[in-house]
Amino acid sequence: MAAELLRRGLSDHRRALAAWCVGIAAYVALVAAIFPSIESSPDFNKLVESYPDVLKSLFGIAAGGDVTSGAGYLDVELFSLMLPLLVLVLAIGSGARTLAGEEDAGRLELVLSYPLRRRDAVLAKGAAVAAEIVTVCVVVGIAIALLDPLVGLDLALGRLAEALGALAALGLVYGWLALAVGAAWPSRAPAIGVPAAAAAGAYLVSGLHELAGWLDPFRFLSPFWLVGSSPLQSGADARGVLVVVVAAVIVLLAGALLVERRDLETP
Amino acid sequence: MLEPAAIDTVGLSKTYGGKVHALVGLDLRVERGEVFGYLGPNGAGKSTTIRLLLGLIHPTAGRASVFGLDTRTNGVRARGHLGYLPGDLRLSDRLTGREQLESLASLRGSVDRALRDELCARLGVVLERPIRQLSRGNRQKIGLVQAFMHRPELVVLDEPTAGLDPLLQNEVRALLRETAAEGRTIFLSSHSLDEVQHVADRVGIIRAGRLVDVDAVESLRERALRHVTITFAEPADPSQFAGLDGVRVVSTDGAVLRLSAPEPAMDGVVKAAARYRIVDLVSQPADLEEIFLELYREGDDGG
Ligand SMILES: Nc1ncnc2c1ncn2[C@@H]1O[C@H](COP(=O)(O)OP(=O)(O)OP(=O)(O)O)[C@@H](O)[C@H]1O
Ligand SMILES: [Mg+2]
Repeated sequence: MAAELLRRGLSDHRRALAAWCVGIAAYVALVAAIFPSIESSPDFNKLVESYPDVLKSLFGIAAGGDVTSGAGYLDVELFSLMLPLLVLVLAIGSGARTLAGEEDAGRLELVLSYPLRRRDAVLAKGAAVAAEIVTVCVVVGIAIALLDPLVGLDLALGRLAEALGALAALGLVYGWLALAVGAAWPSRAPAIGVPAAAAAGAYLVSGLHELAGWLDPFRFLSPFWLVGSSPLQSGADARGVLVVVVAAVIVLLAGALLVERRDLETP
Repeated sequence: MLEPAAIDTVGLSKTYGGKVHALVGLDLRVERGEVFGYLGPNGAGKSTTIRLLLGLIHPTAGRASVFGLDTRTNGVRARGHLGYLPGDLRLSDRLTGREQLESLASLRGSVDRALRDELCARLGVVLERPIRQLSRGNRQKIGLVQAFMHRPELVVLDEPTAGLDPLLQNEVRALLRETAAEGRTIFLSSHSLDEVQHVADRVGIIRAGRLVDVDAVESLRERALRHVTITFAEPADPSQFAGLDGVRVVSTDGAVLRLSAPEPAMDGVVKAAARYRIVDLVSQPADLEEIFLELYREGDDGG
């Protein structure tokens, strides 16, 4: 019965999701299409090396990494910033809309007057958010795998899968955080603001902790640091990904418990 | 053991944000098979009471139960017996009426499809157009269908006929009467006594969060004053009538005398009038609306 909310959630967002998939796939294709010209210009490595350390560390350009290799190039151009950013925007938007947004619009009133537990409603909506994130990551994976032979990226497919798993884990933790904040407080603004701010902070910690020593102890709190940067070159940190997924589950369960205690907002 | 009532509240109270006392110590029992009208002006606490019954909000004090199931601890089972029409109905705008009802049916789990189709036909629900294109009344119809389509034991309706034209209001009243005739229970809120007096067995009147009166519609009617207009052949002495218990002389206009009188005083009025030659006598029951307004005013004095 709560499964209807999963179905409804996916169906309500299907247009937005389709648009995201097309947009991200197009962006991936564009980035891939530029690769042959990067590959053939050995000066590019030198140029990148001359970047200030702050930029290098923010973009996950590891010492000894090779940005003219397919894996190095995609790590810098896609997996260090753009893909997490796009997936997070989708995940946070969807997590905030599906509960807080519905409540703001007064549509939860009727749904929660039906004989289902609120916490099951939250879990069903969490499943819908997860399904959207996985869909986008799979589309990205397919796009990259199809483009690989065309532009000669020469990727290891296992590494690609790891990178996508890490990407999905990041989406999940912030998407479910948005859902959980909406479950705890009846408003869409904090459901977007809290996870967005948390993600921005975590991203900076992950990128800059080596340069700013005082940030170093906080790196364990950053999902970006936990899953590992440059996943196509050095693989994702499997344990880190697991920790992030467990954190996401805990956040979602907390939301499912908190939603029971409070009043539903008057429509 | 006594069979649990359809609705039973004990000291049910709701305070919003620590200062708005929307409902104060409501003790109310609605029996099975009853149609109960819940009346009050804007902001009286009607929707608050209803949302407490559905477990959408939690009481600050007291408790409420539906068929003996506490709405807080046993809310899911309690809601299984309920059909609810929100006062401010918001549906999924992009869905068509049919999709919306289908989705709600899946959410409910069990729905009597034949009954749903019958209700849709009876109310003339527009099924094939997106809900955002529908008028307010047509949305309200969808809300009504979903409240009845699983044949609930208790139907809770927050201002059900708002936005409906008079023909549909009648249809809805007929639906309410039939539901009650099957032994099921109806709790409906309204601003207007007129709207519920033809369907309700009892009414409760709430004002500023407090229940000020619960009475059978019949006895409210008895309390109602009659407007009596007597036309005499020649002017009569009004003081003969003014002395009767509860009678008030409204106006004397030549040979035409206007009085207001409660039902028990009618015998005395007619006997006093009979001493004169009478051309015409008209007695009209006061609109229940007047009693209602009277009670509102009484409430005003109190708080
Ligand atoms: N979420 C809320 N937060 C604060 N105050 C609220 C909230 N919901 C309702 N109130 C207040 O509680 C009081 C009772 O409101 P309620 O909606 O129960 O009235 P009502 O009888 O249904 O009125 P109406 O006939 O206008 O629908 C009002 O003063 C209202 O402003
Ligand atoms: Mg109301």
